[in-house]
Amino acid sequence: MTLADLPEGAAFTVGSVLLDSEVGKRLADMGFTAGAEGRVVRRSFFRGPLQVLIRGYSLLLRRCEAAGIAVESDYESLGGALPGGRGFGRGRGRGRGRGLGMGGRTGIAGRGRGSGGTCR
Amino acid sequence: MNRIRDEIVIALAGNPNSGKTTLFNALTGAHHKVGNYPGVTVEKREGVRKRGDRVYRFVDLPGIYSLTAYSLDEVVTRDFLLDRKPDLIMDVLDSTNLERHLYLCLQFQELGIPVVGALNMSDEAEAKGLRIDAAALSSVLGIPLARTVGTVGAGIDGLLDLVDSVVEGSVPAERLPDYGDELEGRLEPLTAAIASDPAFSAAFPPRWMAVKLLEKDADARARLGSHARAAETLELAASAIAWVERHFGKDAEIVVSEQRYAYIHGAVKESVKLARTPDFSVTEAIDRVVMHPVLALPLFVGVLWAVFQLTFALGEYPMAWLETLFAWLSASLSAALPEGLFKSLVVDGMIGGVGGVLSFVPLIIILFFLLSILEDSGYMSRAAFATDKILHTFGLHGQSIFPLMLGFGCSVPAIMAARTLKSPRDRIVTILVIPFMSCGAKLPVHVLLSAAFFPDRAAAVVMLVYAFGVLMALGSALLLKRTVLKGRATPFVMELPPWRAPTLGGLAWHVREKTWLYVKKAGTVILAASILIWAVTTFPAREADAAELAAIERSIAEADPGLDDGALESLVANELSRRALEASAAGRIGRFMEPVFKPLGFDWKIGVATITGFAAKEVVVSTLGVLYAAGGEEEGADASLREALRADPAFGPLSALGLMLFILLIPPCFAALGAIKAELGWKWLGFSFAFLLAAGWLVAFAVRQLGLLAGYGG
Ligand SMILES: Nc1nc2c(ncn2[C@@H]2O[C@H](COP(=O)(O)OP(=O)(O)OP(=O)(O)O)[C@@H](O)[C@H]2O)c(=O)[nH]1
Ligand SMILES: [Mg+2]
Repeated sequence: MTLADLPEGAAFTVGSVLLDSEVGKRLADMGFTAGAEGRVVRRSFFRGPLQVLIRGYSLLLRRCEAAGIAVESDYESLGGALPGGRGFGRGRGRGRGRGLGMGGRTGIAGRGRGSGGTCR
Repeated sequence: MNRIRDEIVIALAGNPNSGKTTLFNALTGAHHKVGNYPGVTVEKREGVRKRGDRVYRFVDLPGIYSLTAYSLDEVVTRDFLLDRKPDLIMDVLDSTNLERHLYLCLQFQELGIPVVGALNMSDEAEAKGLRIDAAALSSVLGIPLARTVGTVGAGIDGLLDLVDSVVEGSVPAERLPDYGDELEGRLEPLTAAIASDPAFSAAFPPRWMAVKLLEKDADARARLGSHARAAETLELAASAIAWVERHFGKDAEIVVSEQRYAYIHGAVKESVKLARTPDFSVTEAIDRVVMHPVLALPLFVGVLWAVFQLTFALGEYPMAWLETLFAWLSASLSAALPEGLFKSLVVDGMIGGVGGVLSFVPLIIILFFLLSILEDSGYMSRAAFATDKILHTFGLHGQSIFPLMLGFGCSVPAIMAARTLKSPRDRIVTILVIPFMSCGAKLPVHVLLSAAFFPDRAAAVVMLVYAFGVLMALGSALLLKRTVLKGRATPFVMELPPWRAPTLGGLAWHVREKTWLYVKKAGTVILAASILIWAVTTFPAREADAAELAAIERSIAEADPGLDDGALESLVANELSRRALEASAAGRIGRFMEPVFKPLGFDWKIGVATITGFAAKEVVVSTLGVLYAAGGEEEGADASLREALRADPAFGPLSALGLMLFILLIPPCFAALGAIKAELGWKWLGFSFAFLLAAGWLVAFAVRQLGLLAGYGG
């Protein structure tokens, strides 16, 4: 599962960064290393950028970069059936504390899978 | 470091947006630009602080995420730290986000330069419920730390005390980060190999070099070229990398990052506690609206619209007062001064030129004030979120939005701000289209012409011109990306700072500075240009002889036999000054260039104004002021430039619109051209000039032809 597949509000743990070395290294420098915890704060429509909380700060990245970050999450991917309820799973502690991103819509954006790594 | 020196060079370094410039200003009393988005500072700046008999020379640097530099501003910081070797690095850390900020701090430690950490933004950390045990963190990491709040200058003395104690050597030995047994096992022999060349290791700390080689840092490899046993060392590094990649099953540079974060995570876990979780986040509440997945973009357009509407609405009144003031000044001076050249110089040249520009000061103040609010509040990064998709579609980068928005103020800092773009192609495209973002100096031109020719919907017409500039910027970016600057899209990864209330002091200073610059420009460049224009319109002086005078009188009387004596006299005077103007140097130059401007429907006066506009775009207004003052009736000083323009038969709404677009699109002033040259070199400057000139001329031509076709004369 990649970061691009997660719905709004989903908490995740970074697995590995699959992007080529320059972006990959930059993302690692900014905190995307194996085991780092984060949460998808919001996704924009029309395949625009994502806001992600990682290591306690907010970051914007394009969906296509997000598709190059393998993550683990209890949320189901956007491509599959969407969970009806929200707010369970790992993200609880961090997410709810700030009262963020709850109660939004779930996964309206991006039909199907992320862009699969080719950034155009 | 035990030597005690009187002057200490201290580099202010750290992640972007951590408050380095804010602290620098608090420390040195400077007033450099601060803004709540990453990448405000793009070049290094020095300032001095004295305390006791010690002189602290601070160097404010662009923010970086790692010592591996990708963009030009990051290169500035890396090269300063590596090549200039400051006595001390003051790492400015955002206390609310310590993990990422300390990641860089570890790399500073490895440089072998003493490091002092400022736990900045400690007010925000407290508000977030973070309890930081500075003493514990300091002893775990081996870095002296002091809490600061840059915006109010709190903790400055504590910080200087730390610097003193480091300089005097009373701080315990530094500690280097530990990368874990596996990596340390590889780093050790590599460090030893690098240290075998004493001259090299005096320039570059071997341990740091070893880590950078493991990270495959291209710059470090290049620097290794000067090592006595470069080839051997590189080979050793290659085998270390191969070992690490086999052992960990991932890229070596990623492993290094992971180990650093693991080291920090442990340290932070012990010393930073979440005492309580605030149940309300202002930032999130605002972002729910401002970063709405659908509404963000329309909102962005609305914000820009509001900025300009507010500028016009609030600026209208003070502008009218100033206009009245200058009209009065010009009228009373022309009554008081004896007839002659001096009077003409003062009234037509100086007041006609500079006064016309100065009356726009209120507009400029308001525009800069509103743009500063956008910069200081954190809106810029939200704008990047809202526009990334569009910019991306048109071949620009999401981060281009910062330089482009700055372009509404002044092109020069905007062009420099493009340094934060990592890909050279993105940077070039951005710089090439920045001039289309109508800058503050073009605003007087637009306002003057729309007020004169579209009095009922002046603001709407100006907005149209702005919008047209933006569309031209997008369209040209697309064109350039499809032709001369082809290439793949580059990644967009950007931190999003929280909203922050702009500090009033900062805003006031910034606006004051911008206003002062504008006024100074009016008093220097524009005054000089006005006098020059006055001179070339006045000389060579032309006296009509009696025969010519009689001929003029006759032709006017024949054309309209019913004229009384007074009217006849004033028409004759008008005709005389028109002829004098045309015979003057300006008239001759204008005539010479007329073929270029004729197809656009502009007469020679406009030609002259566009040329002088290269000194500064407001000069277009001052030049027209002087030209119309000189060409008008002798005693017509109270008629404003606006009315003079309207009375000119060569001018109408169509040519006014054409002129606004022409001025909008043609190459910017010398200062901005200089900035393009400095950033991109002569070749791109030439390209940019030709490109903008072609764009301006073609658009003005098309507008004129379409207008004529549609039946609008003039
Ligand atoms: N609340 C709070 N805000 C601060 C503090 N220090 C700086 N700021 C704000 O943080 C933002 C960034 O400050 P800058 O000084 O421009 O940051 P910088 O590190 O120079 O940023 P770059 O030049 O982009 O690398 C501004 O909006 C400041 O007003 C602080 O101690 N507390
Ligand atoms: Mg700065």
